Amino acid sequence: MVLDVRGLRYQLPSGARLVDGLSFAVAAGETLALLGRSGAGKTTTLRLVNRLLEPTAGEVVVAGEASERQDVTRLRRRIGYVIQEVGLFPHLTVAGNIGLLPRLERWPADRIAQRVSELLTLVGLDPAGYAARFPHQLSGGQRQRVGVARALALDPPLLLLDEPFGALDPITRVELQREFRALENRLQKAIVFVTHDVREGLLLATRVALMDNGRLVFLGTAEEFRASPLPAVRQFVEAAV
Amino acid sequence: MATALNRVVLAAVAAGGVLSCSRPQRIVVGAKNFTESDLLAEIVAQQIERRTGLPVERRLHLGGTFVCHQAITSGAIDIYVEYTGTAFTAILKRPPIADADSVYRFVAAEYGRRFQLHWTQPFGFNNTFAILVRRRAATQLGLRTISDLARVAPSMKAGFGYEFLERADGFPGLAQRYGIRFAGPPTSMDLGLTYRALADGKVDVIAGNSTDGQIAALDLQPLSDDRGYFPPYQAAPVVRDALLEQRPAVARALAELGGKISDDEMRRLNTQADVEHRDIAAVAAEWLAATLP
Amino acid sequence: MSVWEFYARHASEVWWLVLQHVALVGISTGVAVLVGLPLGVLVARHARWRRPVLGIANVLQTIPSLALFGLLIPVFGIGTWTASAALVMYALLPIVRNTYAGITGVDPAIREAGRGMGMSDGELLRLVELPLAARVILAGVRVATVVSVGIATIAAAIGAGGLGVYIFRGVATVDDTLILAGALPAALLALLADGLLGLAERNLVWRPR
Repeated sequence: MVLDVRGLRYQLPSGARLVDGLSFAVAAGETLALLGRSGAGKTTTLRLVNRLLEPTAGEVVVAGEASERQDVTRLRRRIGYVIQEVGLFPHLTVAGNIGLLPRLERWPADRIAQRVSELLTLVGLDPAGYAARFPHQLSGGQRQRVGVARALALDPPLLLLDEPFGALDPITRVELQREFRALENRLQKAIVFVTHDVREGLLLATRVALMDNGRLVFLGTAEEFRASPLPAVRQFVEAAV
Repeated sequence: MATALNRVVLAAVAAGGVLSCSRPQRIVVGAKNFTESDLLAEIVAQQIERRTGLPVERRLHLGGTFVCHQAITSGAIDIYVEYTGTAFTAILKRPPIADADSVYRFVAAEYGRRFQLHWTQPFGFNNTFAILVRRRAATQLGLRTISDLARVAPSMKAGFGYEFLERADGFPGLAQRYGIRFAGPPTSMDLGLTYRALADGKVDVIAGNSTDGQIAALDLQPLSDDRGYFPPYQAAPVVRDALLEQRPAVARALAELGGKISDDEMRRLNTQADVEHRDIAAVAAEWLAATLP
Repeated sequence: MSVWEFYARHASEVWWLVLQHVALVGISTGVAVLVGLPLGVLVARHARWRRPVLGIANVLQTIPSLALFGLLIPVFGIGTWTASAALVMYALLPIVRNTYAGITGVDPAIREAGRGMGMSDGELLRLVELPLAARVILAGVRVATVVSVGIATIAAAIGAGGLGVYIFRGVATVDDTLILAGALPAALLALLADGLLGLAERNLVWRPR
């Protein structure tokens, strides 16, 4: 297991539990889709994994080590993180963005250049054309591709994506979903991605987790999800049609 | 209708008449920007008020010599206290001479002729520039005269006010007469701050006034003008002729002040204001009540 | 005598005063940046420091310059130290405030992405936030410098030298040539500082597209 979450809880000072008793595991090569309505606790869960939020109770084990025992910077560099707004650094080129972590890890310049080139090709962007561009010169879809490339720079075993295609137009979204699916097979990483789009979740994931009010109400394969009689699940399946 | 209009016009004219009468010509007394000048101006102002009953406006701490001179020649002020030596060298631009009477007579004549200004009788004290050093330094280096200073000047730092640096009877002439060369060009600052700079050790020599209360208070030593460089500086009120023509009572009031303040007396008054921080108007009132009841 | 004749006759003294003035402004603005930049970062990071820090800087600025010089004399004595201290205090507000604004103005998504990626606070500050805030920060430095050139003319009253020497001498002796002799270069210096720093602001640092 690359990611092992056990009894995870996040409680606010007011007593409200945004995440309560969450347990699941993701192995290498698996993709888990985290589904649920707004406020179900999906994004919070992701942020508890990479410790942007600190769990109130429970355990998160990443690549065999408890996350709370790891140095937070080291932990996060072993987890690729992609958010909906992407958050590319506007003052750096595409190559600069992707190569930032390798630079901080003190990789030699040529190794960095090679990795950048490799990753751009992987996400479907021609290095010759794109490496020197700045984020403001890219379209939304191109930016998200760079975001994914940046997250993969240090070849982390775990990838977290928070509504990665949410801000894109429908056509670009479908295109990227298709490419991402192909990428999953090549990467063989443990991937957790949050989405409110059920069809996207069922398309890209090997397993689906449905959250409601901070709790896990369903965990299973896509087929099991479609066939499940649980009312909470049915709501979602119906809405997706 | 016509009667009502007449009444309105009459009322307006009457009001105009009343207004112009109820605004008496105020007498304006100015002062230079140091305590002694403020004190003397206050004495002059109160003396006029108590003897003539005329209202007097004060404009104390106006500025330096040149500012006050311009103010009185333009009519912005009517009276201020000036020093004969200053008028002689800085305003009339004559090379300094030593005889007090000659200086006074020349200045009085020229001011009357050129500026329509009248010099009344001097107060009686001579406030010359005092070249000051710290008393301990004076004892250590054996300094008693300005010539002594010239000997050790290259190892000293000087600080002067802006006016002393510019005036012909100020630093340039002094340096030339005594052959003084300091370590570097003198630091310039607001005159009032030079005392502090000397006491704090930021500078070693300043040019103060011989009647200043601070000299004793800060334990400073004046050096005597052994080559007689500085002209005599007798303080006297300078008044616009126009005012004296209008109000002869003012001349009589000012004449009473002639010869009433000695060097020591002036120093005493300065100390009360500068060192004891007493209110200037109070010091002046007290002195007038005691001296000219 | 016209101002030009004055300059011709006193060229070396004029240069010396200009240099004194530039040194006074340069050094105090430099110190203000060294103190103000970290303060601005502190305030951006910890919101509860915002009111006290910005509040103090604001109050310092409202004190009339001659008064501040006078108040500092017992502490630093007469001369350049007092003048520099006062100038630093005046320069702090624009620098701290602009640093705060620049850093908090960075898109939160960028900060989230950076932290989530595994950048430490220091790395984030150094490599992302400061470069993105640089333009706004430079604008603050520019304002501080131009204001300092003006206030530094008052330093001459307390013996700190600079172009104010001519201005004070001119005022004491009612000499317009002297006053202009000091005021003109001071104005030129202010314009120059504004121009150069404005150029840097527009061309040397990242600007949003």
